[in-house]
Amino acid sequence: MGPGLQPAAELTRSKSALPRVLLWTVLTLFAFLVVEGLIFRTGWYANYLEPQSSAGIVEDYLYWLKHHPPGNAPEVLVVGDSRVGEGFSARAADEAAGGRTHFWNFGIAGTTPRVWYYELRDADPTRRRFAAIVIAMDHYSDEDGDPPVADRATDLNFAIARLRLADCPGFAFSMSAFAARGKALAGCVLKGIPLRSDLQHFLANVALRRQRSKQFHELGLEYINGYGGRDTNLEGLSADLRTHEIHFPPGVDVEQRDTIRATVTPDPAPDTGETTAYRKLWLGRILDLYKNSPARIIFLQLPRAPLHIPENPTPPRFLSSALRRPRVAALPRATFEDLETPELFFDGYHLNRDGRAVFSRRVAELTEVK
Amino acid sequence: MLFTTLTFVVFLVVVLTLFYILPRSLRRYLLLAASLIFYMAWRAKYVAIILSLITVDYFAALWINRKQGSSRRVALIISIAANIGMLGWFKYANFLRGIFLPGAHPLDIILPLGISFHTFQSISYVVDVYRGEQAVVTSYIDYALFVSFFPQLVAGPIVRAREFFGNLWSWKPPTGPEWQRGVAMILTGYVKKLVFADQFALAADSYFANPGAMPGFMPAWTGTIAFGLQIFFDFSGYTDIAIGVAQLFGFHFPENFRRPYLAASITEFWRRWHMTLSRWLRDYIYIPLGGNRRGPARTYLNLILTMLIGGLWHGASWNFVIWGGFHGALLAIERLIWGREVRSGWTRLPMTIVTFLLVTIGWVFFRAAKFGTAWYVLGQMGSSSTGHSVITLWQWRMALVALIIALLEEYRGVWSRFAESPAWVRTAVAVAALLVIELFSATDQTIPFVYFQF
Repeated sequence: MGPGLQPAAELTRSKSALPRVLLWTVLTLFAFLVVEGLIFRTGWYANYLEPQSSAGIVEDYLYWLKHHPPGNAPEVLVVGDSRVGEGFSARAADEAAGGRTHFWNFGIAGTTPRVWYYELRDADPTRRRFAAIVIAMDHYSDEDGDPPVADRATDLNFAIARLRLADCPGFAFSMSAFAARGKALAGCVLKGIPLRSDLQHFLANVALRRQRSKQFHELGLEYINGYGGRDTNLEGLSADLRTHEIHFPPGVDVEQRDTIRATVTPDPAPDTGETTAYRKLWLGRILDLYKNSPARIIFLQLPRAPLHIPENPTPPRFLSSALRRPRVAALPRATFEDLETPELFFDGYHLNRDGRAVFSRRVAELTEVK
Repeated sequence: MLFTTLTFVVFLVVVLTLFYILPRSLRRYLLLAASLIFYMAWRAKYVAIILSLITVDYFAALWINRKQGSSRRVALIISIAANIGMLGWFKYANFLRGIFLPGAHPLDIILPLGISFHTFQSISYVVDVYRGEQAVVTSYIDYALFVSFFPQLVAGPIVRAREFFGNLWSWKPPTGPEWQRGVAMILTGYVKKLVFADQFALAADSYFANPGAMPGFMPAWTGTIAFGLQIFFDFSGYTDIAIGVAQLFGFHFPENFRRPYLAASITEFWRRWHMTLSRWLRDYIYIPLGGNRRGPARTYLNLILTMLIGGLWHGASWNFVIWGGFHGALLAIERLIWGREVRSGWTRLPMTIVTFLLVTIGWVFFRAAKFGTAWYVLGQMGSSSTGHSVITLWQWRMALVALIIALLEEYRGVWSRFAESPAWVRTAVAVAALLVIELFSATDQTIPFVYFQF
């Protein structure tokens, strides 16, 4: 056998090369992060995100907000997921308020309180713009979901353009699963990873993307405000909540049936406290944002299903604690209970055109700044 | 533990750090432990297979070295039988069962990771000791490290014992340029795999998942070309990473790919494609069969037999046998027409195109899941109906970029110039490579390396 793995005479060679190599490696990685940051952290690329992508739609709303300065009427921002997007019309609410209050619809499909926090933080940096923030909850009860809402990987896609480097640990470690944390942390630090597909499409046709982006910035808000809602309804839907048997009206497709089953006869979820912790963290952070602001925070419970269903027995622990804070209020749980009818829904979750009209008017009446 | 996972990157950083921190006497133990952990990360209990083969071959070589006469031959046969037997059981049992017991249910056998590579590497060592071309290795740890060294354990390159032990026993720490070359090889490998191979895999998989759904000339050709590009970028990417990682530990592995699609003949193709396998087949199959020393007819037969074995080495199916036989026949025909001449001058371009097309036809057998599918695809390649390309415009552009880079390297040696370029150029290229990996990886899913199945 030959001599050892490292002849002593060569040790000097090793020692002189290593520090230079390590320095080069560190500098190269640093240069990479700088270039990556110039692309994705300066806000330049955010201007050209696909306007209807998860990240793009969040940026669209923030763009519209920034480019429509407040007028004389106090402003109210309604934040939520697709149930707000479909069920609430800012224009109808403005009309119901007689122009005395101006409403913004920040209902983005697929978003969660974690995303709302980053949206609101950047939508209203001084916390002085809005007279009230209306937070639309699917239910006041802290019922747990499966998989846990804390592990929703898509939150990164929505919030990606809003996340700063300092946000990354908090964002990633608010997830519970190890794999979800790793993916969120990597994606938050290296924004090119979650935005990879968007960038590739951008480069495939730069001119088209720029044009779409411009068009959406100019016309998108008008389009969203002009949206009247879906025309179809679920008339004829009935259910035996005891046996979990649902009678579907004709013409209801598989996807609609799934959503109806999920809301009308939901599987019982264990009360682990996960949702309470999640809400305390992310809705709590929203409340913290506004703690020194004159803005009111108003919670409401959305119409939950196309049929009236019993309340989940899990107590509303988060809301109970939130209501102890100043300027925080909640509309009574039953405020929209009468809208839980098949005639006002087009699937298991969403209000239709008629439901949208009633809901928007009532939200305006109940949250209008007097 | 796939090279493309974060787990591997963390593993590599930890092992590298420990390697340079530990006293030199402990480094080989560290590398062996790391290699076994790397192997066991896939299926822990299979470590017994590789360790048992290491043990058999180690003692067989010692026996061969110490004894005279026929017992040396017995030890050699035992060693080869152990390797071929193990490989045969895991890789070919179901194939042979299908031939001799048609209709019998296949046995539930899982192919151990990298068995085709480490068995060939082990056989070459024992044969070299038998031939007196390799000094016997008395340290079990050193020999076990030779067989299991993690960068090349799974998919090569197939390293010869004298290359490996030359590095191990006269180990020199990498110089600055060697470190940078190692890093550059690793980055190149990741770009090849994540950006190019996985991109072409999307096109190839979309076609070969159901070729009947896309009839016509264009889908058949473009689907197969996509696979040809996928397997090149995939396999050469893997070996680039392997070579680069080995370089960081101070080991110099042989080149395994040299722009094979620029070859102007099948003979040249095999001098550029999976070069360490070609070398192994030449030294341990073709030459022992008689090579070209027994007349033209025997040479042609030896070429075909060698490539048939090479085909069968890739996988246990008639498709691989035909693929090997096809290449063997082409090598024999070339030898018959042109001898061993490498094309040059004006004929090089048309011959390169012809070679590429022939290699592409061969890939049909390599990629198609079944024999019947391969014939169907070949039929579609000659079909009069056109159909549509499964390679997108974006992917064609990528292929063009790859071709330009390959030509620049072939005729201008840009890679060699890169290694000698100023630090800021190397840094800029490394940053660009990192950005390309980050932004142009084809998918978020981890697509295993094609050669892992071999």
